[in-house]
Amino acid sequence: MAVPQRSSGSRFTLAILLLTSVTLISLDARGYEPLANLRKATTAIIQPFRNIASTVFDPIADAWESLSEGDSLEKENALLREQLSELLEYRVTTEGAVEELAALRTQLDLENLGGQKTIVAEITARSVSNFDPYIIEIGKGTQSGIREGMAVVSVGGLIGRIEDPGLRSSRVRLITDPNVNVGVLAVGTNEIGILNGGGVGQPLKVSDGIPVSTDVEIGSIMVTSGSERSPYPGGFAVGTILEIIVDEINLEKELVVAPTGQLENLEFVTVILYQPTASDSGGDR
Amino acid sequence: MTFLRALKAVAVLVVLLILQLELFASIRFFGVMPEMMLGAAVASGWHGGPTDGAILGFASGFLVDLYLASPLGLSALTYALIGYLLGIISELIAEDVERIVRTVISLVGIVLGLVTFVLFGELIAEPNLYNKNFGKILVVGGLYTGLFIPVLHFLMEWVFHQGNYRNNQISMTRVQRN
Repeated sequence: MAVPQRSSGSRFTLAILLLTSVTLISLDARGYEPLANLRKATTAIIQPFRNIASTVFDPIADAWESLSEGDSLEKENALLREQLSELLEYRVTTEGAVEELAALRTQLDLENLGGQKTIVAEITARSVSNFDPYIIEIGKGTQSGIREGMAVVSVGGLIGRIEDPGLRSSRVRLITDPNVNVGVLAVGTNEIGILNGGGVGQPLKVSDGIPVSTDVEIGSIMVTSGSERSPYPGGFAVGTILEIIVDEINLEKELVVAPTGQLENLEFVTVILYQPTASDSGGDR
Repeated sequence: MTFLRALKAVAVLVVLLILQLELFASIRFFGVMPEMMLGAAVASGWHGGPTDGAILGFASGFLVDLYLASPLGLSALTYALIGYLLGIISELIAEDVERIVRTVISLVGIVLGLVTFVLFGELIAEPNLYNKNFGKILVVGGLYTGLFIPVLHFLMEWVFHQGNYRNNQISMTRVQRN
């Protein structure tokens, strides 16, 4: 078999392309503004075509979803019915909880949720990567006042934060991402712990910051701390404690937390138009 | 690459990108979607040779990078390499190769592309890429993309077709390179 002679031209082309790629990666990592603008401009050009395609393909995607997730929806329905009956029984004993929570919120000096401006946005796409399932895309961006880092909530509580907002669309990084940190505290305590995602379909974890002496109980609600360094306003429900593991070496409690915010089968989310002051936004908490 | 080919290539890549974003992102098997743009890089390397394969690989990677949270340029880097590699492989083997051989080589190229993407991602400290689903993504993603290999080859054949070569049901022909 005769092996063709490769010209040095192809190697030169490859070298140039690799160099360009590495330069792009480097500039992007540094947050180079023109590159971000290029990304926004290119996606804005492609967006009308995506909108047309979305109109055509959405029914197909919906049909596929109902086919592939039929079983899981039935199971989810059964589970929800069970939970509903438990909650109805539980309601009698917890009627005073609302007043108690309000009192605790006042005690903890948490901000009033009603005071925050919000905007409702439609979810336009799920993650488009096999390797990063912790992203959803919403149909509103900087034009609607959305900025980097803003909190995103759904029915039940916090589900993520805005990442890399475009003019008319934004990405939301979900709190299930193991690399996301959220400063939280259990209602009724003052100790701020760091909550991390546990992956898709897995509970969240608070593995740092809750001393062993802190009085937390299974079923307690974890809320955003609203501490000085947090990009999230305080008092947003994040999850409910499922399990408490005592770390006797570090004298801390590790909490396994079920997210309260609805993360599956979402159509719309609410973005809290809250931006911490410059001095507050130093950490991802 | 002539202007007409470049135009055809852009059209094909944009269509594939929109299909990937709007259709295949929702139609997943075991939570995994096909990597159409990587498949396009593989097919372009096969039909266009190392130079055009690297260029189209870079372009398809760049397009998909625009929509990923990973650093801009990471897919471009990977896909350019894979396009180049497939271009070299296609030069080394006989032109009238059986369709099944071409499909298997393309499948290997796709899996190699996925591995390289994660490897480069880890090297530049992108911690999200390697996770416990990696094996599943390799197998399911590779096979799922593999279903579209004939279509991708057909499209890239159209992009690089020069008119003086014809393919038939048994054998595949590639464009004569200068």
